[in-house]
This record gives sequence, structure tokens and C-alpha cells, in this order.
Amino acid sequence: MSRKVKILAIDKEEIILKSIRKALAGNNELQYDIITCNTAIESLKIIRSDTFDLVLIDLVLPGMNGIEVIRRIKNINPSLAIIIMTGFSKNKINSDTESEEDPLSEILKSAAGILFKPFTIQEIRNMISKVIHN
Amino acid sequence: MKLVEKLKYISISSRISILLGVIILLTMGTFSIFSLVKQKQDSIDVISNNSEQLSQTIEKILRLSMLKNRRDEVSTAINNIVGKEGIISVRILNHQGTIKFSSRLSEVNTHISQTNQLCTNCHYQKNDKLVYTLKNFESYRINNKNNFIYNCVPIRNEPSCYNHVCHSVPDNSTNLKLNANTAKSLNQNLATFSHDSTQTVLGFIEVEVSIQKVIANLTKTRNKLITLTIILAIIASIITYFSMRYLVGKPVKNLVNGTMRVARGDFKNEIIPGKAEFRLLAESFNKMQTQLLTSQSQLIESEKLAFVGKLSDEIASQINNPLTGIIIFSEAILKSSNLSEDKNEINLILQQALKIRENIKNILSLTRYNKPVFRNVKLDKVLLRAVSVVEKFSSFRNIKIITGIPKTLPDISADAGLLEQVFLNLLVLSSDLMSSRGLLNISAATYNNTVEISFTDTGKVISKEILQKIFDFSDTKNYEDYEKEGISLAVCRDIIEMHKGNINVLSKDTGNSIIIKLPIKGNEPES
Repeated sequence: MSRKVKILAIDKEEIILKSIRKALAGNNELQYDIITCNTAIESLKIIRSDTFDLVLIDLVLPGMNGIEVIRRIKNINPSLAIIIMTGFSKNKINSDTESEEDPLSEILKSAAGILFKPFTIQEIRNMISKVIHN
Repeated sequence: MKLVEKLKYISISSRISILLGVIILLTMGTFSIFSLVKQKQDSIDVISNNSEQLSQTIEKILRLSMLKNRRDEVSTAINNIVGKEGIISVRILNHQGTIKFSSRLSEVNTHISQTNQLCTNCHYQKNDKLVYTLKNFESYRINNKNNFIYNCVPIRNEPSCYNHVCHSVPDNSTNLKLNANTAKSLNQNLATFSHDSTQTVLGFIEVEVSIQKVIANLTKTRNKLITLTIILAIIASIITYFSMRYLVGKPVKNLVNGTMRVARGDFKNEIIPGKAEFRLLAESFNKMQTQLLTSQSQLIESEKLAFVGKLSDEIASQINNPLTGIIIFSEAILKSSNLSEDKNEINLILQQALKIRENIKNILSLTRYNKPVFRNVKLDKVLLRAVSVVEKFSSFRNIKIITGIPKTLPDISADAGLLEQVFLNLLVLSSDLMSSRGLLNISAATYNNTVEISFTDTGKVISKEILQKIFDFSDTKNYEDYEKEGISLAVCRDIIEMHKGNINVLSKDTGNSIIIKLPIKGNEPES
């Protein structure tokens, strides 16, 4: 029995956080220990004081640019796997990542994965499994 | 205020015609003045010469009478001469300045002053006496206020005078030539008639000739010329004004109005070409207007799309969060619930939610119009995606779509989103061309280095002019079923050209074909 995978989920919408909990609950193979928060500042506090295997983070967060948060998280713990959640379409992401200097493309490259909202239970589980096993 | 404003702006036509009028007035005026002055001068010279000759003739005629001392004859002759040929007066003076004979009887035996030109011609004043200057007397003339000319001719002392019986008085000579009889009959003071040989000038004949008639004629001529000049100037100005207005003023006004319209933002009306240079000007103006119109439409289109894109993204992200909740929790209930009835209904909810997800994805991918990003694109996927969207449109309800797109279609370097938009628009165009019913065949093939995609329908034949116009001037198409936005076909053509390809529309008996050619990746022609 493998230890519980500790996941931090950061999104400003409560429904997303609830959905993540629901989607990842009650799995026989892997047990997920899920911590959630709403804001960037809170998330940074939590990351500093705790260790996680995985971070699920939305790009649109109140107070701070999602990209900026990710950078800071990487500063605190570079080995932390980050999955980016976003409601934008695939195409928008593609179009925004055109230049090398674009911070979004940087982050996307360093992210472990991208999860597009809305996602099904299967999709989020698959994504997390994939990331854990890398 | 209006009048002042109007005065400030004087049209080209007016300026030029006024200028012409002024030029005519000045040139003709100057010419007239010069020629009139010359003419007057010449006329007066002629008259003067004539009057001088006349005076000399009169002197010769009267000489004999004076010689014979026939004073009556002289007076009569003088009175007869006056009044003819414009001769106003004749008078005879002696050297001392006394008027001996005159047509003006009141003058007789009066004196002229020593300052009179008659005297000063040869003498000058010195201590109240006239001193002779040894100058030869010259006939002179006086032009008196343009009314008359004085002509003065000297009566010279000649041998016939001072040798004549009556008229020579010896100073101290014993040669008494005077005949007693003649002296008696004369009954005059002898001294006044003495002309000894030392005297050169015995007296003067002054003839006054009127030049009033001549002056009056000249004045008439002058006035006529002035009037003529003014009339000419006015007529020339008027003719010029109207010609200018037609040739220059109107075309210029059209151009000015055109530019004012463009400044207001109205690029739609062409201006009528004028003549010569104006035709070229008007043509290039019209071309410029068309360009502006096109750029403006394109700008509006891209702005619209960018805005719509932003809007869509906003909306989508706001929909996606709650949608996630619906999907996840429906799935969770489905997993945990045992009641098949409930499960069925929950499943319905889940399916609807997933459908919404799909639709949002499609809509989002189609309305974005940012800077094109060229990537490896699999055309078949893009085409099929576009087809899957339009299939649901009501305008496609009666259209059967047949797709013949090989999976082995080579990749091309393109912006998938933009291409999808183009395909979508062209599919809608096809449905328009076939009046929303019939068969639409979508096929793709590779020829040489290009991929050729064709949308062939079974619609009625469309004329070439209309087809050309469709791509040149079409407005934004309305898409029912979503957003009511699209891109104009001109923009479609631009996008395809950006990909180094081209669009053509063919029309045959069997139907219309829209053909898109795109270069295969790695084979794009150099830009």
C-alpha cells in the first residue's frame, strides 16, 4: 500500500475544489490527501509550511497572476509537480504560447500537465496518475 | 456671418476669372492710355504744323496789304479769315508789342507785357529793359488748356519793305522817299510805320487755332476705348468663370466633397472622373477610397473578432467552472447510486453537461482571431471539425454532406484556428450558393506540392461577376445558431493568402465549386 499522495488544489471557485475532492475520493489504488485553498497568498503560505507531491492550480487567481504564483511555488520547491487547470480552450493556449519569451509558455513547458475545464472524473484521475508515475 | 465666410472662400473659378479680368483691364488700359496720349500728341502736332503754315500763309497774304498800307484790307482780311477752319483769332503786333490789328477789336492799340513769351523769346529783362539776346526768333506755339493753339509768325523786314515808297524813313538822310500824297492819304503818324533796314523783325502775326473739335473727338474715342476695354474684360471674365467652373471648379468640388466624406468616415461613394488630370486624380482617389473601405472592414472584422474572442473566453471560463461541478457530481452519483431510475435521469443531466462542454470547445476554437500562429496542422482534422459545427445549422438541414478526405493528407504549416474559421465560412457560403438544399461534396487531394480542398455543391450556376463580387465586397455573414458573427469572405481570402494559398470559385452546370489550394509544409513559395 503506497502512502497517500498529498495534493494541494488552488482555485477561486469553491465548486471546483469540491469537484476535485469528489473526483479523487474513494479510490482503492491510490489515496489522496487533498488540501484546498482559494487564494494565491494562502497557497504560498501552505506550501511553505507543508510538503506536497502535487499542486493543482488555476491560472486565474484573485490577487496575483497565476503565472506569478507558479513561479514562486517553483522557487520554494522546484521539484513540486504542478498541474495547471484552465477554462480556456486548447487553441487559446496554443496561440498564447507562440513566443519563447512569453511567460505563459514558459510555465506551460515547466508544468507537469494541463487539465482543461470542465473535466470528467476519469480525466482528472488519469492526469494525476500520469503525473505521479513520472 | 455667412456672407463673410463666403467671401473668405473664393473659388478657383472666381479667382482666375477675376485675375483675367484685371489683366485685361491693366494691359488694354495701359495700351489704350499710351496710344491715346500718342494720338493726341500727334494730332496736336499736325494741327500745330498746319496752323503754323496757315500763319505763314496769312503773313504772306497780308504782307502786300501791309506793304501798301492798306489798313482796311488788312482788317477785312483778318476778319474774313477768322471763323474758318477753326481759326479763332488773328492779330498783328508791332515789334514794340502794340496790337495794331486784331479780329478782337477791343484789343487794338493795347500792349502786351514784356513778360509775354513773344518778347521773352528773344529778349530778357535787365533793369526793366529788354535786352536782345541775339537769338533768332522762332515761331512758337502755346497750347492753351487744350482749347486752342497760338501760332506766332514774325514779320521780317525785307528789302521790299524798307525800300518801299511808304515805309522807309531815313534817319538823317536826305533821301526823302515819302511821297507827299501818300503821306497825306495815310493820315497817320509816320513814325509808327518806319521800318529802316536795321530792323530785322517788324512785327508778329499771331493766329489762334481752335483744337476743341479734335480734343473732343479724341475724348470720345478715349471713352469708347475705355468702355470697350471694360466690356471686353467683363465678357472675358464671365466666359472664363463659367469655363473654369465646368473644367476645374466642378471636378475640384467633387474631389473636395469626396475627401470631406472620407474624413467623415463614409468611403462608399465613388467620385465621377472629370477630364484630363482630374480623371487620373479621381481614379486614384476612388482606388484609395476602396482601399480604405477594405482596410476599415478588415480592421472592424478583426477588432470584432478579437473582442468576441475575448468575450467568448470570459464567458467560457465562467461556464466551465460550474459545468465541472455538474459533470463531476453527476458522475459521482452515477457511481454510487443503485436506483436505476435515478441513474438514468442523472445520466441525462451528465450527457447534457458533456454536450455543453463540447459546444463551448467548438465555439471557442472558431471565434478566436488573434495573430496567426503557424504550426503543423492536419488538414483533415480541421476540415472535419468545421463540418461537425455546420452540420447542426438549420441552413444545413436539407443539405447532405459527403466528405472524401483521405487520412493520408500531408501536414501543412498553418494556423488551425484561422483555417477552421475559413472552412466554416466557406461551408456557409456553399450552403448559400446552393440555396440550402442539395448535395455538398467536400474532398481533398494532393497535387504536386499543394493540397487542394474543394467544396462542390449542386446549386444553380452563379455568374462570374457575382462570384468575384462575393469575395471582394461581401459583408459579414450572419451565422444563425451561434454568436451571429463571422468573418467576411474578403478576410477568408486574406487568411488563405497568408498561408500562401488561394481561393477560387468555379461555376458549372452541375453546380458550384469553391477550391482552396494550400502549399504542403516545407514547400511554401518564398514570400
